[in-house]
Amino acid sequence: MKTLSAIHVPLILSMLVLVAPACSKKAVQSGGDHALQEQMAREGMAKGGVSSTFPDTSLSGRDEANNLRGLDRNPSEERLGGDAGGSGRNGSGTTGNHGNTLMAKADSGAAARQLAEIRAEQAASVAAGLRDVFFAYDSFSITDEGRHALSNDAEWIKSNPQAQLKIEGHCDERGTSAYNLVLGEKRAKAVRNYLVELGIAPQHLSVVSYGKERPFCTDHSEHCYSMNRRGHLVVKTGK
Amino acid sequence: MTLRTLVLSSLCSLVGLVWIIESGAADVFLEATRPDFQKIPLAIAGIDNMGGAESPEGRVKLGSRIEEVLKADVRRSLVFSLIDVQGLGIKASSLGAEPDPSFKQAAENGVSIVVWGKAGIKNGNKDSDVSMDGYVYDAGNNEVVGGKRYVGSTSVVRLMAHRFADELVFRYTGEPGIARTKIAYVSELGSARELFVMDYDGYEPRQVTADGFLNLMPRWSPDRRFLVFTTYRNRNTQDIDLIELATGKRWTLVSQGGLNITPALSPDGNFLAYSSSHDGNAELYRMDTHTKAVHRLTTNAGGDLSPSWAPSGRELAFTSDRSGGPQVFLISADGSNVRRLTFDGDYNAAPAWSPRGNWIAYVCRTPKKEYKLCLITPDGQKRVQLTTGSGVDDSPSWSPDGRHIVFSSTADGKSHIYMINVDGKDLERITFTGTHNSAPTWSPAS
Repeated sequence: MKTLSAIHVPLILSMLVLVAPACSKKAVQSGGDHALQEQMAREGMAKGGVSSTFPDTSLSGRDEANNLRGLDRNPSEERLGGDAGGSGRNGSGTTGNHGNTLMAKADSGAAARQLAEIRAEQAASVAAGLRDVFFAYDSFSITDEGRHALSNDAEWIKSNPQAQLKIEGHCDERGTSAYNLVLGEKRAKAVRNYLVELGIAPQHLSVVSYGKERPFCTDHSEHCYSMNRRGHLVVKTGK
Repeated sequence: MTLRTLVLSSLCSLVGLVWIIESGAADVFLEATRPDFQKIPLAIAGIDNMGGAESPEGRVKLGSRIEEVLKADVRRSLVFSLIDVQGLGIKASSLGAEPDPSFKQAAENGVSIVVWGKAGIKNGNKDSDVSMDGYVYDAGNNEVVGGKRYVGSTSVVRLMAHRFADELVFRYTGEPGIARTKIAYVSELGSARELFVMDYDGYEPRQVTADGFLNLMPRWSPDRRFLVFTTYRNRNTQDIDLIELATGKRWTLVSQGGLNITPALSPDGNFLAYSSSHDGNAELYRMDTHTKAVHRLTTNAGGDLSPSWAPSGRELAFTSDRSGGPQVFLISADGSNVRRLTFDGDYNAAPAWSPRGNWIAYVCRTPKKEYKLCLITPDGQKRVQLTTGSGVDDSPSWSPDGRHIVFSSTADGKSHIYMINVDGKDLERITFTGTHNSAPTWSPAS
């Protein structure tokens, strides 16, 4: 398996060159606020990979209002402001937490919209009969069983040439959140590479890693862990 | 010698002690934090309750609530040892602003500082302001060395205690204390993971994002005004965003396709280090936050991630799997001088460099395949395992005083947030609600 993944590294790299332009083209074509955001982000990217303006994060902007004033033999009244920013109770000149924590500027529609889109994707993926690929602990090598599942998936993709697929890389709860994002990406890319070997055009495939942040199952059992170590194929709907 | 200079010199000698031992024999357990430094004996005589006022939550008297919060803060400061006031003959209710004759006796019994106070609702009206008076008696001078008088709405009752505790730490060490620090973290809401900020003791949680999908691994700006974090834009791409806590305003700092994870602002806030796989596999980058110029720090076939700045800003610790499983490496801030730091075990990740510079905390996989916290010195000479037992420990983050580590663990089943002293003592769970709390990160001191 080690030699296999070594062979795949140059394959992954060459694939990225092919896939990246296809992705950006698609984002511009699709509608909605998020496509616009993506487009703006990509325009910013041309100037060095970042959006055009953002605030000063250096210590020069430090607010001194929160500084301690020391004990006093005749203490004067010190008014403390709450940290519920925007509650209207913080008078000017108050000390405390300089109002730096907030209540979320909640986009109440965001969660509902995301959920509806996830459900639509799930329904389309179930209807397509796509099968997931499962991985061994610490591993991103595709097993024989995984190859079998991907052969099935490749057939469906070939007979549905309009479909765009997202390959999600997932991990079990063991290990760190951060490293599992890297491992999840390796799993998703391993799945993508095998589908490409089976003749699927890389333009039809995108990868995303969710690490251990979107587990299929939440028990602390080996069975559950094995369910969570997966490459999950999703039919993209809409965006 | 005044008490304050005594303490300062004790702290200095503590630092000296650490360096002597580090250059000496191995196999010494965490002497850096099991110091000869004598904690200052402090007695809290009580926060007297004026007029029967209840705390905002009801049930408990206002003064008792403040006293309880103050005691916990003083204990966690690790600067003072809390002396039981029972048997010292001190009654808070009889104390004014002057030293009580009973203090002299307390001093003879080894108490260096006596703290007391009173709290009440102004005008006796439930919607009115709360006031708290606190006094500090110093046995060395045999006098009341000072006090504080706080007023504010009922929403700042805990803050009054935190602020008073930090004044005590500041008075006797010159450090700002940690009682007013915050912890940012990730919590599950439905199927989404959103950012939250709470007080360092787990109280007053506040939601920061409401995107309905995944927001991960927040880090503070050094001035505490912003968090940087990974957000899944439209669920399919990862960006690195900045959010201003006071307003909720957001900026996208990195948006390149691929993984864009583990952002960390430098101690002076002038640079953002992060990991991105837009060029193939995860590599470290450093962005100048003023010019937005991006400098690539690593180039190799392995994944490089989780940069953590040294307090000097001249080096970073990071995770890399270039030699197989993930290990902790060090790198200069210009990308030069990469060297591997951890060699024990086949999985070491998520390094966090202590604000004092002397330790790097990280997640280590034990021979029993448990994910626990370990500490290692930046020269690699000393290494210790900090936590034990079942459960996956993750995301260590240091308190700004370098005496505590906050982390997530599944030790009690669901993922919750815990803190532990750097000497392995005082393990304390600080979140109790929610289905999944993770990725804690401790704010700088103010």
